Amino acid sequence: MNAEHLEEAKRLLTAFPGKSSALIPILHLVEDEFGYIPEQEVEVVADLMGVTTAYVEAVLSFYSLFHRQPTGKYLIQVCRGLSCHLCGADDLARFLHEELGVERGGTSDDGLFTVEEVECLALCKDAPVVQVNLEYRPRVSKDDLQRLIAECRQGVAQHA
Amino acid sequence: MPERRLLFEHIDVPGIEGIDVYEREGGYRSLRKAVKEMSPDDVVKEVMTSNLRGRGGAGFPTGRKWSFLPKDGRTRYLVCNGDESEPGTCKDQEIIYRIPHLLLEGVLTSAYAIEAEHAFIYLRGEFKGGYLRLGRAIAEARAKGYLGDNVLGTGRRLEVTLYLGAGAYICGEETALLESLEGRRGMPRLKPPFPATSGLYDLPTVVNNVETLAAVVPIVAMGGAEYAKLGTKESAGTKLFSVSGNVRRPGNYEVELGKVTLGELLNDLAGGPPAGHTFKAAIPGGSSVPFLPPDKFDTPLDYESMRQAGTMLGSGGVIVLDDRASIVDTSLRLMEFYRHESCGKCTPCREGTMWLEQALRRMVTGDGRHGDLKTLEGLMAHIDGQTFCPLGDAAIAALGSALRLFRGEFVSCIAAQDHPLEEVAQ
Repeated sequence: MNAEHLEEAKRLLTAFPGKSSALIPILHLVEDEFGYIPEQEVEVVADLMGVTTAYVEAVLSFYSLFHRQPTGKYLIQVCRGLSCHLCGADDLARFLHEELGVERGGTSDDGLFTVEEVECLALCKDAPVVQVNLEYRPRVSKDDLQRLIAECRQGVAQHA
Repeated sequence: MPERRLLFEHIDVPGIEGIDVYEREGGYRSLRKAVKEMSPDDVVKEVMTSNLRGRGGAGFPTGRKWSFLPKDGRTRYLVCNGDESEPGTCKDQEIIYRIPHLLLEGVLTSAYAIEAEHAFIYLRGEFKGGYLRLGRAIAEARAKGYLGDNVLGTGRRLEVTLYLGAGAYICGEETALLESLEGRRGMPRLKPPFPATSGLYDLPTVVNNVETLAAVVPIVAMGGAEYAKLGTKESAGTKLFSVSGNVRRPGNYEVELGKVTLGELLNDLAGGPPAGHTFKAAIPGGSSVPFLPPDKFDTPLDYESMRQAGTMLGSGGVIVLDDRASIVDTSLRLMEFYRHESCGKCTPCREGTMWLEQALRRMVTGDGRHGDLKTLEGLMAHIDGQTFCPLGDAAIAALGSALRLFRGEFVSCIAAQDHPLEEVAQ
């Protein structure tokens, strides 16, 4: 972790009535910094928390937003909840896979994009929905995604 | 059929996400009234009188839930469940993202009522934008003295901590949420003990849904008796319904419980099916409840009527299918979800959802077998009532009703795959 995140992690250790609660927020710091949870950071987190690496692994492996492999600069999550499914989510996912040349859950060769199909994102009224770095894009079409990809490639898309 | 907006009364006001506009529209009057003019017990009584029932899905009376807290002087916590993940449900999302101060006022007022000095708002990890908005709302409210060490000069302490989950449907189950909030895998706890006696950090805890806590604001403002006049005797007040799927005007609609039928919600408010199509079925309460066919669309939207019609009001997440939707494909999509989200603690749920998904996938991909309907029913019988938490039962609710209502579709799906029809129908 960088110095700023390490400082924040130390603050989190005493931010809750129970120290154990700090683990998930600290893992978020790691995920934010690296785009995944690298092996060596598991040890750093375990030391901070005063628990074993196995404990940290057990917790982080439960949650879908913690990644064990590097992700792209832009994490595109296509909602496949039933409402989005009924509104064409499969087509959007297929389009992204073909356009970016990635498998499900894969990262593009240029390291820019990771495409995941995820469960319901709780914006069913605006189906089909995707999130880019956890920011909603409601009622998206293939054209929208095409534009989004171009914006990301030009580096103008906003980070969440 | 009009909406009846209490929670969403000011949601379209520009700038309502900021505290100045929220206050101008009457915001924080309920909190002020509670801490200045009412005792905590007075607030609990108003909520009891209001007949408010939990809006997360279970419909348990909120006032009664609060009354289970032991009066033993231990520290108490209020936890707001903002893990909204039930497919088809997006009402809490709109409250959090568009009118965060309403939720915060509800949390503060309720914390005061149950005499908790510290409240937690647990948001699903994908609500990172909502986390930032609520963080700003908390900072604004602190600056105005609505929370902190001396709330509105009363000497009372109210603190709110935001907590961001990391992606797991099961964390919407209240004891799994508490596990997650304590930094562990989100696996449900054995009940009893219930959270009211042993919850967060083993201390007395109330866990309430976002919409439930938001509803405390109008209840304190208008009085519990007035609120109870809205809706029906058993289902009081207004409720948000999320309408999505094959419908012209999907959206969140706030209506009085029991005063509007499912059909009126779908046709009058949500604009009916897309042009040239007809409705085939709806799941009225999030994906964990049985389907209703169109001939039951005249059922009023309240807890009892929905139960009598063979389904549940649940979270109010209404997913509607039109005549283009395949019920087998829909069932597969739902089962993939539950298989993915099963926490793995109980074998019937962990293994059963996997086998159900495999059988349904065979049907959808053209490899259905003539015994598959029996396989589905056998697997469902082994899950039904056999799991620690409600996820197992939730996983089979829609499928069970699909097999009853649309059996022919499953049969012909398999039959089309070159298996003798008479064997399939057995």
